[in-house]
Amino acid sequence: MARVLTAILLLGALLCGSLYLDDPSVDADIVIINSNDAFTLDPQRMSYLHDFRLGYALYQGLVVWDTDDYSVQPGVAETWYVSDDGKTYRFELSKSARWSNGELVTSHDFVFSFRRLLLPDSVADYSNLMFAIEGSEAFYNWRAAQTAAFADAEHPSGNDAQQLWRETLLRFRDTVGVTAIDDNILEIRLERPTSYFLDLLCFAVCCPVHRPTVEGWPTDETAKRRASGGWHQVDPPLFDTCQWVALNPDTGKLEQRHDWARPGRLVGNGPYILSRWRYKRDMLLEVNPHFHQPDILCNDSVLILTIEDANTRILAYESGIGDWVTDVGVEYQSDMLAERACYLEHHAEKLETLLDAGLSKIEALAQLPLPEDGERRNIQPIPAFAVDFYSFNCRDTLADGRSNPFADARVRRAFVQAIDREAIVRDVTRLNEPVMTTLIPPGSIAGYDSPGGLMHDADAARAELENAGWADRNNDGLIENEMGRTFPTVEILWTPSLPRYKWISLDLKNQWERALGVEVKLRPVDTKFYREDLRRGNFMIARGRWYGDYGDPTTFLDLNRCFDGNNDRGFCNDQVESLLDAAATETDNAQRMQLLAECERLVMNEHVPMLVLCQLVTLYMYDPAELVGISHHARLTQQLWRFEKRDTVVDAAPAQHTAKASIP
Amino acid sequence: MMRLIAWRLVQLPLILLAIYTVTFTLAWLIPGNPLEQGEGRRPPAEIEAAMLEQYKLDNPFTFYWDYLGKATGVSYVLGQHDRPFDLGPSLRHENWSVNEILAAGLPVSFTLGLSAILIACIVGVAAGVIGGARPGTAYDLVTLLIALVGISLPTFVIGTVLLVVFAVWLEVLPVVGWGSVKHLVLPALTLAAPFAAYIARLTRYGMIEQRSVDYVRTARAKGVGNWTITLRHALKNALLPVVSYLGPATAMAMTGSFVVEKVFAVPGIGTHFVNAVLSKDLTLIMGVVLTYSTILVLLNLVVDVLYRWIDPRIEQ
Repeated sequence: MARVLTAILLLGALLCGSLYLDDPSVDADIVIINSNDAFTLDPQRMSYLHDFRLGYALYQGLVVWDTDDYSVQPGVAETWYVSDDGKTYRFELSKSARWSNGELVTSHDFVFSFRRLLLPDSVADYSNLMFAIEGSEAFYNWRAAQTAAFADAEHPSGNDAQQLWRETLLRFRDTVGVTAIDDNILEIRLERPTSYFLDLLCFAVCCPVHRPTVEGWPTDETAKRRASGGWHQVDPPLFDTCQWVALNPDTGKLEQRHDWARPGRLVGNGPYILSRWRYKRDMLLEVNPHFHQPDILCNDSVLILTIEDANTRILAYESGIGDWVTDVGVEYQSDMLAERACYLEHHAEKLETLLDAGLSKIEALAQLPLPEDGERRNIQPIPAFAVDFYSFNCRDTLADGRSNPFADARVRRAFVQAIDREAIVRDVTRLNEPVMTTLIPPGSIAGYDSPGGLMHDADAARAELENAGWADRNNDGLIENEMGRTFPTVEILWTPSLPRYKWISLDLKNQWERALGVEVKLRPVDTKFYREDLRRGNFMIARGRWYGDYGDPTTFLDLNRCFDGNNDRGFCNDQVESLLDAAATETDNAQRMQLLAECERLVMNEHVPMLVLCQLVTLYMYDPAELVGISHHARLTQQLWRFEKRDTVVDAAPAQHTAKASIP
Repeated sequence: MMRLIAWRLVQLPLILLAIYTVTFTLAWLIPGNPLEQGEGRRPPAEIEAAMLEQYKLDNPFTFYWDYLGKATGVSYVLGQHDRPFDLGPSLRHENWSVNEILAAGLPVSFTLGLSAILIACIVGVAAGVIGGARPGTAYDLVTLLIALVGISLPTFVIGTVLLVVFAVWLEVLPVVGWGSVKHLVLPALTLAAPFAAYIARLTRYGMIEQRSVDYVRTARAKGVGNWTITLRHALKNALLPVVSYLGPATAMAMTGSFVVEKVFAVPGIGTHFVNAVLSKDLTLIMGVVLTYSTILVLLNLVVDVLYRWIDPRIEQ
């Protein structure tokens, strides 16, 4: 008995010994509940929405968006000039912009960061976004070819990689259109005029990084650097002495480690510094004391919690831990929206008056009385810069060699016209997303008007099918061609990881079977297989979705280019291609937008490579009466420094903040 | 005893190598590309290829040997790598190394698992004794019923119920997080429930079995009190099956707390492990499996030693 007791006591002692409990209590002005941790804090490597949000918090680019209307505002660059031919941009940098360690931000920082973005060694997802820059694509391809050839050859000494690297630096300097005229003037030359180039520059991947930090320069260099006015004044140390970068002697490539992205090490030039970061737990951002525009900051600190379980995120919010849940994602979200609708209906009159008084919807919401039981104010649906669609396989044959009925545009048009989109958003997804018939969310890009697409018209759909030779010839309820062969069983490829597509796919099946007399089968596959099937064209109809990257129609329309890496449909049309080419070289913006609108009309009315359903809606959970500063613009960039808790908002607060809280 | 320990320690690297090889093969065969996002934009083909090459994911043999060398420290000894026991960067969270992730998460999972087992022991043994001392009575039925519920209800149900009752309605305990004993209570209770139920049943059957054995009858004939018989004589032998269950149970509690960690947002290893498999984060999968296997093998050894110590007959 004594022994058993001892064993249990031993276990207890072990427990006490391992009782590893550290104090988590951090006070922050704003607490955000996020569903996943960041992939990276290296701006050039970013490609997730949440990473971008952190990118804007920790770094500042030449220019920044005003997230109310996505106009371009000064960032590190105070002013800029564009040459008459629209190909040369000259940026004058603010002399007060500083890194979080106090060093000045200079044009050399930007040259270094653009080089980093354009080096294939960095394996940056968004390198090709900057191929608008003169010589950049050629430089990228040259370096990729050089390192590939280098890896194949024998290299007895490590110097060869160094040699290639020196050549690369010279080549970048001589052929790529990014030049530091002096410490404060940066010049960027473009291949061709690009009307949305400033919008591209606002993107997080164009933010500068602090070279000595990301390369891990030896600390004894620091003093030398300070004394001489910046790292560009001293000779860069050999890679052998750098902590985080190395030249691989076998491949000739520059390899980056990311241990610098840690509290205390990370040096940024954005509004915040990284004060704490614990993997998949929390991240604390505190105001950067050296930030050069302190007057734009509405809070002093932001804490970001990672809670992976959707249900727990909601409970955590409800218990008052957080101010904003970035991703609701629970199965009962449509019920929450119904509660919101109840609330809006209850106060419809008052809401109307407030809206008439010129308030934005979200400002008006904040002024309404507290919700009662069964009502809800803290869930906000925001139509995103994104489109939900189902792809048709446009290739002549399917992956298994069968002939593909959807290679015929008439069949695709029939399948599009057979679908009642309103019924889907109303009864199936129950999120009431704005339905769309074309690819680009209406009104999301200034100066661009989307043409209409194919609407729901079951009769027209059957007529199209008959034109294509498919009709019910033996009255069995199914359609056949002239040879009497019934229409092949249509397969819909979808992924069960998102329940949304189960319900939509089922409804599409019903609608098509009812309206067209075809047999439809669902083929659910895991996300990993799904990506592979899409790439290989192994599907008839597959669910898809697309988020726009930058404020130009081509961010959506390029999906229809023959050789675009995201053209899953295998759609290829000369007319579409030549319209996109013509738009790319057109210098007059209005003319260009017309060309693109014509392209969209052609694609979405005649060729219809995809069945566009609706705009995707993002659900935010926050109460507008408690938190202001969240942008409701479709592009969903959130600038954390604009967030402010309502109870700390006094009437005398700077007018710009409250004005900026308004929603288009 | 010493021979047993030495022999097991010799076996350890071989077992680990076998586990490494099997896990690697399985993980490699998971379809998909760990560097790819589940949704949306696909990077250009040449970038995808470069990314795969960067992490040596273009060739299974290169990855297998390279990772083995770095993880075991052989590469370090040979001077090819600057750190020993490097489990690589996480492929899905590239700013973090697997070593850092494990160092942060293991103590959390350990604390949670051990607390749960401790709770399970106390509650389970008590319930088993109460029921087993008087089989067939109301006490017995009630404890059996509770044990049945504990075993049958999935932890995510128990967890969510506890969460809603104690954290949301009564507001006496925090909903999520980690950092104080308060944070530990709900997840530990949830995790303990099935183990406690199992232990209660083991103890009960042990007790019932021991009641009819000769030495208990003798004690009773001597006029020893009912509780003294139960606690001093019968329990000691009734607990043997519980002790042998404790080894695997402790290992399971420390490693298999995925659901509990997820529901309560506890920053342990369980969630990382499952997510790593789902997203094919090879380095994290390998790192977690290697670490866990080491712990499991060592824990089994500890249990064997404990067992012999409690019941000296086994050694003979």
